[in-house]
Formats: sequence, C-alpha cells, structure tokens
Amino acid sequence: MIEVEHLAKHFEARVEGRRARVVAVEDIGFTALDGRITALLGPNGAGKTTTMRVVAGLVRADRGHARVGGVDVASDPHAVRAQLGMLSDARGLYARLTARENVRYYADLRQVPRADGDTRLAMIADLLDMGALLDRRIEGFSTGERMKVALARALIHDPQHLILDEPTNGLDVVSTRALRRLLQHLRAAGKCIVISTHIMQEVEQLADEIVIVAHGRTVARGTAGMIRATAGTATLEDAFVALAYPAHRERAA
Amino acid sequence: MTAWIVFRKELTDALRDRRTWIVVLVSSILAGPISLLLLSKFVASVEESVARREVFLAGGAAAPTLANFIQRAGGTVKEAPADFRELVRSGELQNAVVVVPPDFEARLGRGESIRLDVVFDDTSSRSQGPARATLGMLRAFSRELGSQRLLARGVGLQVLSPVDVEEINLAAGKSRGAQLLFLVPWLALLGAVVGAISVAIDVTAGERERGSLEPLLMNPVSTPAIVLGKWAVVAACSAAVVVLTLVGFRGAMVFIPSESLSALMQFGAAESVLFLAMLLPFAAMIAAVNMFAATYGRSHKEAQTYASYLTMLVNFAPVIPLFLSVRDAAWQLYVPAMAQQVVMMRALRGEAVGPADVLVPAAMAIGITMLALGAQARLLRNERIVFSR
Repeated sequence: MIEVEHLAKHFEARVEGRRARVVAVEDIGFTALDGRITALLGPNGAGKTTTMRVVAGLVRADRGHARVGGVDVASDPHAVRAQLGMLSDARGLYARLTARENVRYYADLRQVPRADGDTRLAMIADLLDMGALLDRRIEGFSTGERMKVALARALIHDPQHLILDEPTNGLDVVSTRALRRLLQHLRAAGKCIVISTHIMQEVEQLADEIVIVAHGRTVARGTAGMIRATAGTATLEDAFVALAYPAHRERAA
Repeated sequence: MTAWIVFRKELTDALRDRRTWIVVLVSSILAGPISLLLLSKFVASVEESVARREVFLAGGAAAPTLANFIQRAGGTVKEAPADFRELVRSGELQNAVVVVPPDFEARLGRGESIRLDVVFDDTSSRSQGPARATLGMLRAFSRELGSQRLLARGVGLQVLSPVDVEEINLAAGKSRGAQLLFLVPWLALLGAVVGAISVAIDVTAGERERGSLEPLLMNPVSTPAIVLGKWAVVAACSAAVVVLTLVGFRGAMVFIPSESLSALMQFGAAESVLFLAMLLPFAAMIAAVNMFAATYGRSHKEAQTYASYLTMLVNFAPVIPLFLSVRDAAWQLYVPAMAQQVVMMRALRGEAVGPADVLVPAAMAIGITMLALGAQARLLRNERIVFSR
C-alpha cells in the first residue's frame, strides 16, 4: 500500500533570468491499495512526476508524508527503495550494454541471486514478448523496446510496489497491449501499482482507482464511475476537463 | 560489494566505447615512442652537424691556405651555394658561411690583415652550434697565422698568448636536448589526464544526459559506493594510459639506436618505477577531480568544457618553473602536476630523489582524491544535479 498525505514541494528555478520559487506540488494526497492499479491523471506540469519522486525517496517533500508498505519515506528511504520498482520518465538504459546486461546490473545492485534473476527475467520477457531482444545491445532499440527493457529492470527484484511514470509514452498499439497484459498479471498477483498518465483511454481500460491532479493539487479521486458522477458528465474525458480545468468549463458554459 | 558491481559494469561499458580505445592507444603511442623518436632525431642532428664541422666557404677557391687549415683541424670544406644568403635566412642552410675575398692569398702573402665575413642566422637553435664551430675555427686560423708571423720575426709564442684558454663546456652535447627534456614527464602527465577525460565524462555527465542517473539512485545502495566504483574505472583508464606511455618510453629507449638519446636522459628500470610512483597517485587524483567537474555537466558537451579547463591547468602547472627559472623550491612539491614534473625531471637528469620527493606529492594527490570523491557523493544526493537535464 502506498499512502500519500498533503504533499508539498517547491523548487528554485530561473524564470526569465531571475531566481524564482516554482511550486511543483501544493497538496496532493491519495492511497493506492495492494492488488489495484491506481492512476494519477493530470495535465503536464500538474506535479505527477514530482509526487512519484517523493514516494521513491529521490526528492524530499517540504510538507506532508509518503508511506510505502507502512514505511515512512523520509525516515527510511533505503527500506522504501528496497520494496519499490520504478519506471521513470527517462528510461535511462545503457546503450552499449545488452538488454540482459542492463537488467542484470540492477539485479546485482539489489542483490538478487543470479538464478532467481534469470528465471524472473525469462518470465517477464515472455509476458512482454521481448525474448528476442535480450542479448542485443540497446543502441538501435525502438521506444517500445526500450520501455520493455526498463520495465523488466524495474521488476527484476519482484517489488511489492510499482510506480510507472508515463509508461505508454511513445508506444505503439502492440507494445501498449503487452504492457497492459503485464500490469493485469501483476495486479492479479496482489501488487500495488501506481501509474501516471494523461491518456484517458489508458486510464479507463486499466485503472481501478483514479486520482485527478491539477496545479499541484488532488482535485478528485475514486473509480471512473464515481468521478463521472461527481462532475456530472457523460464521459471521463469531460469529467477530467471539468475538474482539472475549471476555467475551461466556465468558458464552455 | 556495490562498488565492485558498479566497477564491473562501468568497465564493460567503457571497454565497449570506441572513444576509450582511440584515446588510450593514440595518446600512449604519440606520447611515448613518437615524441622520443623526434627528440632523438633532433639531438642527433644537432650533434652531428657540430661533430662534422662542416665549414661553408663562399669563393673558397681563392683561399687554399684556409681550406688546408680547416682540413688539418678535422673539418670539411664545402663550397657554399651561390644563393647562400637566401638559404641561410630561410633556415635551409643551418651552417654559417664564410665569405672569402678574391685577393685572400695575395694579402696573406703581403702579411696584411684580411677581412672575413661570416654569415649566419642564430634564430634557429639548430644553427647556433655550427655557427659557433665555424667562428672558433676561424679564430684558431687567425691565431695560427699570427704566431707564424711572430715566429718569422723571432718572437716566442708565449708573448702572443700569455693566457691559454681552453673551452671545457660541461653541458656540451646534452645541453640543447635538455631544453626539450621537460617534454617527457609532461607528456606522461598529460597521458594521465587524457586517459581519464572521456570515461570520467561518460560515467557522470553521460549518466545524467541519458537519464540513467535517476533510476540508478532508485536502487537501495549507498551513493559513496557508486562513486567509488565509477572512480575506480576512471582511475584504471588513466593509469592504463600512464603505464602504456611509460612502456612506450622504455621501448623507445631500447629500440631507437641513438647514443645521443641515452646520453641525454636516464630512463632505466629505476626511473620507470619512480615515474609510476609519481604518476599513479596523480592518475587517481585526476580521475576524481575530473569526475567531480564533469558531474556539473548536464551533457557530454557541457562536461567537456569543464574538463578542458582542468586539462589547461595540468598543462600549464609544470611549465611555470620554466618561466620562473626557479629550480626545485620546496613549495613546488605541494603543487600537483608541478611537483610530479619537477621530481621526474630530476630523475631524468640523474639527480638524487629523496623519499619526501615521492611521498609529499603522493599524499597531496591522495588527499585531493578523497576530498573530490566525498564532494561527488554529496553532489549525487543533490536534487538539482540528479533531475535537471
């Protein structure tokens, strides 16, 4: 289970040559349960990536708490990382290594026994249909192939919690379906999965729970049906626009 | 354990990078054998032209007495080409040219004084030796003539030269080459830098550029261990270039058949070991400092800029003593790059090198290595470094 409460985070950045305070997250909160897929849905710059980095212990929050499997991220980031798999928006693979070597590097760093790692990689490769890729070097891989390798790498230690930042970015239909199949398989195994996205279709097909974030705040949470009902709209897309861009609705009305 | 895993991975990665190989091979081949070959050619050609004592005469047919003297003194007489002034000015003719007047023998017979113009250009360091040799030859000829004339008048030789001056130049032969000898340790130092750069950038700024730093830090491992593993690979590459460069020097000493080169510098087994003792801590330091500087780069290109400042410093520090014309001040041992240069030069010249000369620069290098590695580990926990791309 991943619990996030009243998270806030700002950055110092240069805006038009001057130092400025940029608020990335103002008040985001949600709970992602085991055996469910929770989707953070929001426009670009809503604070999804920052929230995920806080949960992974890569970034310290200004306010609020994040707990992964009951462990507070701020007090024990090591323990949190140990039970977490993360696919970041930059896939970050090593081009001169083969797919298998890329995955093994992380398996070794996480002290996964070689035999267990190999069995697990074979299983993931089967689910993602990437067996033929394993012993080729990453240079020349397509976006979809890179995503598959990065995903295999994030899953190699069989984490209870999985965070995926924009997993379908740049993927074709076949790769998207392979990803969906894998996530459903993991959900059935009782894993806690959080994905961030701005693609409606994906959310409707995959997510059990939807958290809509906009301008650094959680504006709605619940199942697709609950969110449609709250917004009083027929489709999830309309509900999303109504909730994430209130100004838009006024203009439309 | 973590450090070892990181080391193994980064080593595989670096060895598969063609850039690493090009740098390692080119720098060690260029630095060692080729530079020594050129140095030995230079020294040999200087010595050869001095030894051959070629004296160029313009209109030499008019002065058989002078030609005879030169031959007796062990020199060879050559007739200067017609356009010798042009050739001397352009540097094609390195020797001095003696312009002989047509009435040379007539004036000689009458016992008059003779004017000889000597044309040379001393801007080129290679022409200074031959010019000096020619001038010396002419002075000796003048002395001989004078004493013959005095003897003919019944005056003893000691009247003419109450002081007998004999030149004994201790720097003879070696001195010209010694000016270029600083190249040898300097190239070895440069090898350490060149060997470190591309790998140092790849494991730091490269990791940021391709976005692999964030997922790497997501693993439950300690940052200092990651830094240590990466540093070990960079230091190993730097050390490899250093060792290859030294092997190149040794090989050149063995295979280049030049007595002038072996007279010029001492580079035997003892010197090789001393060079290693000076250069390996330096390689460790340059690897750490290079990585630290490159971590600030968001891309290869940006890191390249920071690395080039560092290279410039290392290029420049050893040359400073040449300009200051200070020889071996104690403080120099505390300045990295300069210290290594000074001590290695001393060894090449066959001078004594004490334990402090090795230990002080090594301690400085190891101290700086640890500071740079510590600072780097802290940098990798800095949100602005990890996430800004």
